[in-house]
Amino acid sequence: MFARLANGNSGPVRVIEGQGTKLSRTMHGIAYDPLHDEMIVPVHLAGALLVFRGDAKGEEAPIRVIQGPHTGILRPETTALDLVHDEIYVGEDGGKDILVFPRNANGDVAPLRTIRGPKTGLDEVRGVAVDPVRNLLVVSSRSRKAPTGLFIFNRTDDGNVTPRAIIAGPRTGIVRIRQIVVDPEQGKIFVAVKNNKESYRWDAASPSPWNPDEPGFIGVWDITDNGDVLPRAVIKGLASGLVWPAGVALNSEDREIYTIDSVRNGMFTFHTPEFFRKKTN
Amino acid sequence: MENSMKRRASLACAGAFMVFIAGSLLLLHPYSPTFPAVVQASDLDDPCSEAMVQLSTSGAASASGSVAGGDIVPVRSLADPYPSLHSVAVDPENNRVVMSDSNRGSVLFYERTSAGSSSKVTSPKWQVRGPATGMMFIAGVAMDPARHEVFAVNNDIGDRMEVFPYDEEGNVKPKRVLLVPHGAWGVSLNGARDELAISIEHINSVLVYRREAAGGEAPLRVIRGAQTGLADPHGIAFDVATNEILVSNHGNWAPLTQEEASEGGLQGGRFALPSITTFPAEAKGDVKPTRTIQGARTELNWPMGISVDTAHDEIAVASYGNNSILVFHRTDNGDAVPVRVIHGDRAGILGPMGVAIDSKNDELWVTNYRDHSAVVFPRAAEGNVAPKRILRNAPVGTPAVGFGNAGAVAYDSRREEILVPN
Repeated sequence: MFARLANGNSGPVRVIEGQGTKLSRTMHGIAYDPLHDEMIVPVHLAGALLVFRGDAKGEEAPIRVIQGPHTGILRPETTALDLVHDEIYVGEDGGKDILVFPRNANGDVAPLRTIRGPKTGLDEVRGVAVDPVRNLLVVSSRSRKAPTGLFIFNRTDDGNVTPRAIIAGPRTGIVRIRQIVVDPEQGKIFVAVKNNKESYRWDAASPSPWNPDEPGFIGVWDITDNGDVLPRAVIKGLASGLVWPAGVALNSEDREIYTIDSVRNGMFTFHTPEFFRKKTN
Repeated sequence: MENSMKRRASLACAGAFMVFIAGSLLLLHPYSPTFPAVVQASDLDDPCSEAMVQLSTSGAASASGSVAGGDIVPVRSLADPYPSLHSVAVDPENNRVVMSDSNRGSVLFYERTSAGSSSKVTSPKWQVRGPATGMMFIAGVAMDPARHEVFAVNNDIGDRMEVFPYDEEGNVKPKRVLLVPHGAWGVSLNGARDELAISIEHINSVLVYRREAAGGEAPLRVIRGAQTGLADPHGIAFDVATNEILVSNHGNWAPLTQEEASEGGLQGGRFALPSITTFPAEAKGDVKPTRTIQGARTELNWPMGISVDTAHDEIAVASYGNNSILVFHRTDNGDAVPVRVIHGDRAGILGPMGVAIDSKNDELWVTNYRDHSAVVFPRAAEGNVAPKRILRNAPVGTPAVGFGNAGAVAYDSRREEILVPN
């Protein structure tokens, strides 16, 4: 956990670590619940979803653990919260699915709903976000044989369902995709387009192994977009510092976008008031 | 859509990042071997930082072909410009020490005696780093004293092992590259068998290859399955003298596929206690370990690197979660109490990731992931003892940011904190 204004070479203000926390490597998702002051983290290597107190630190145990054969969880990759409907969403790359649990679920509990199957188009699910205002669910999925992009479902969809819309194709700029977040105020999807397609040009001066021709970026789409469409806005380029952005989060109050870059091992804050709805005083 | 790009990053910025270090604004090519990871622009009057966007809400932007935003300079950037020391290997025959740097994707070579007692930063004698190396999120390292080669595996990104000759410098192409499964963490060499062993976190496996394996070459043997006890394996030691493979496990396990989840009855993920599992060198398939150190008395807590000292019949384990080095008898089994523990405020162990025993010089090396340092103890050190030497790669007190291929972020609006799982 870092202070919002941390800059340069700053250490974390808090760290949750150690065997007792049940955390591991390969945690590619996180969500914060400001209403109940809790943090939710998927543990890919143990098929679990951990819920911590908001001010947890040190070797503190989670207050709830969703794990076990009845959960249907294989290797959870990403998570999101719907505080309006009191639900937790879990996305899986290996499971190629979305699982929905009650927000306060604990133990080996069955999901309320599962989106999985060939009609869904989902493959390696990397991100999930909910728009409780428009009752829509957005999923980012990566695939070698199906579209890689944003899949938009009805919030209450269940089973082997066809998405309402798919944002994918060469005009989107999406090659590989990770964490997503929805701003329900605007109906915008903010996307970490990682584009981590490695390029081994051993004898060239190019900045391999990351692909200089298709660097990652933060892309913004309307939740009503569909098809092979350009993003509404991007943060992209050398000055942005982004190479392989893997995560994205919003701070609407301060009009900031946070992104974590997995090649640069850096976190970047962008102050972009124009990306947010105007404040009305 | 009206795209009001009132201010944009100018062409003068192209090909360069702004780097703000110690009050100086530097412009460096982003792929320079010396490029620190810090990018920052607090001066919004700087032309390079000028970017302004107008995000449409009209619903016509995508169709019209205009895109808002652009090459926006961050107002704040958080990154560690210094190496994060991951694993360590010692070659007492040639007086070399090598450490992996998972922050900047490099391998650092030091003289074995280069660490000192002062607070000064010790520069590596040689450093391999840059795009041609192919190194990314580098984890375990091993040394071949006979052939003067260093082996380095990439963890969560990269999915390969690179081999470099000793004393290489800069942005050099590896001598050999071996493609390995995703999530490789540890690598260990067995010169007598002419083999190397690699631990793979994600598939709970140990893969044994020819020493000179390259390209897409298949492993000679794979240890994997329910009986192996392998669960999120990390450190690995391929013991020449006893012909055994020792592996440290964090204890996390989950099925990879729906089919695996259904094998032998419905299975979900689980947390087991951390362990050290030992296998015969020839082991393959779903075999039981010959010995397993596991239990509350072991003090294992996120066990990382592991090193075997056959001269004294001991194992040293870097126990990250409790900032300790745990030493066991090599043949310990079950809920064994460590024979020695190095731990305490004087020891200078903080987030130990790598450990290497140098029995020839009677020393024990530890790399600290959270302190920009490596510490060297007498081999038989015990308790809250100060190291005999400290090797620093950043000034004393420099924070260790600790990012290692982080993949997500969230914002805690109550505390105004940014949350990053790592």
